[in-house]
Amino acid sequence: MQEHQIDNRNGWRNKRTLISAILILLVIPATIMFGVFALDDRKYYFISLLIILYTMLPFTLVFERRKPQARELIVIAVLTAIAVAGRAAFFMIPQFKPVVAIVIIAGVSFGPEAGFLVGATTGFVSNFFFGQGPWTPWQMFCFGIIGFLAGILFRRGWLKTSKLALCTFGGLATFFIYGGIINIGSLLMFTPVLSRDALIATYASGFWFDMVHAIATVIFLYFLSRPMIEKLDRIKAKYGLIESK
Amino acid sequence: MNSGFATFHPFVNLVYFIAVLLFGMWFMHPDFQAIALVSAIVYAIVLRGRAAVKFQLIYMLPLLLVMALINPAFNHAGVTILFYLKNGNPITLESIQYGLASACMFVTVIIWFSCYNAVMTSDKFIYLFGKIIPALSLIFSMVLRFVPRYQNQLKRISFAQRSIGQDMSQGNLLYRAKNGLTILSIMTTWALENAIETADSMKSRGYGLPGRTSYSLYRFDNRDKGCLIIMFILVAVVLSGQVKGENTMRFFPSIKVAEVTPFSILVYIAYSGLCMLPVIHYILEGIKWRSITSRM
Repeated sequence: MQEHQIDNRNGWRNKRTLISAILILLVIPATIMFGVFALDDRKYYFISLLIILYTMLPFTLVFERRKPQARELIVIAVLTAIAVAGRAAFFMIPQFKPVVAIVIIAGVSFGPEAGFLVGATTGFVSNFFFGQGPWTPWQMFCFGIIGFLAGILFRRGWLKTSKLALCTFGGLATFFIYGGIINIGSLLMFTPVLSRDALIATYASGFWFDMVHAIATVIFLYFLSRPMIEKLDRIKAKYGLIESK
Repeated sequence: MNSGFATFHPFVNLVYFIAVLLFGMWFMHPDFQAIALVSAIVYAIVLRGRAAVKFQLIYMLPLLLVMALINPAFNHAGVTILFYLKNGNPITLESIQYGLASACMFVTVIIWFSCYNAVMTSDKFIYLFGKIIPALSLIFSMVLRFVPRYQNQLKRISFAQRSIGQDMSQGNLLYRAKNGLTILSIMTTWALENAIETADSMKSRGYGLPGRTSYSLYRFDNRDKGCLIIMFILVAVVLSGQVKGENTMRFFPSIKVAEVTPFSILVYIAYSGLCMLPVIHYILEGIKWRSITSRM
């Protein structure tokens, strides 16, 4: 039974890899070609938005297709709600948000898929409170991919649950992955013409925002990681939530 | 906002917003941009009244100006050179106009989104996507419920902790922070335990079994059908204009706008009709309401 379940999960993971591979190797280049030739290489934002949506598609499809159990759904919902409430609680301090910290904890405790879903859902649902906009897909993608990476690295044994390891990973991921991608997103939103100077200027003007965000992640991970991971492990042990190994 | 266009079926609302947002991001032709910007502003005012005017004047107008200025600083393409910057880069008429156009586009999209946020409430979104992505939609709706619930529970925990002298209002800063973390810790444990209970309750009530339906408030009637058909016709006209090249504009190296022809006027009318659809509906409803009120 246990064996079978694990087999099944591997199957789904392979399917996700397959869908991702098709999207990355065929659909994304096709979209870029469409942008370059049909749209005269002008609609960068539109094309980049499509690419962002494609990368989120495999997760959605696989998650929906495997008909997740109620317990699985609700754990993701709880972690997302905590992250959303955390984002709301710190609304008055720009960029100083616990979202990335909670997403990383989710990825470490419940695996890459849950990490991605908690991240992407937090980006989406919190904007029901803060307002949806052209930035929503970018935030969803950035939060999601950090959760996914945290899960993968932990599985592989490259990321430990020590405070030092988590804080280092959290700080770097927030600064380089979140900051790195979100700045491209906002540049594409503002100016439809991509240039190296403009990109450098965007990174420079975003530097302190990203820095504060990264520091916030480190601080929240420092205080939250151990108690949160302990609690999540306890819940897993107590109710026998299956770990998708 | 529970009136006007928002009372149409959520699918009609969604199609409308997808159409205006995509077209708003797509068309760089100044006439089209003006139509979209004006429509978005008018609709936002219809929806949100004075708050919309304030939002547009305080945030959108400065944003428009700043963005219009940023573009020429980084973009030096174009043939009509106005003057040179200190570092030797030229400022061109084309890049200024392009900056203005892209700023206008961005502001239009933001204002459309402010209308979207007022019309497409979360329940509509969840209703629409509940069929395509049921599990994720359920998560969305659970999160939306959990957030206020947690805030409430946080208050209760805090009160309970106060009675033993351990909440955020007692002691020095360090003590308060420590108590704050304890409260959060209690909160998290409660949330997780409570969640498992909810999950078991869902399971025992048959979540995930085949043949279960979900409750919905919405019904797709003739009015929705009519509105959708009108929208599709308008979209088709606008798209045929795009195919014929009426909606495009070239900025570099020199500015070239598609000429105005009888057909392009038709396309303009169709695009205005599409963007203004909720406002037109609002006005028609107003006239209808006035004509049926009793004059006795």
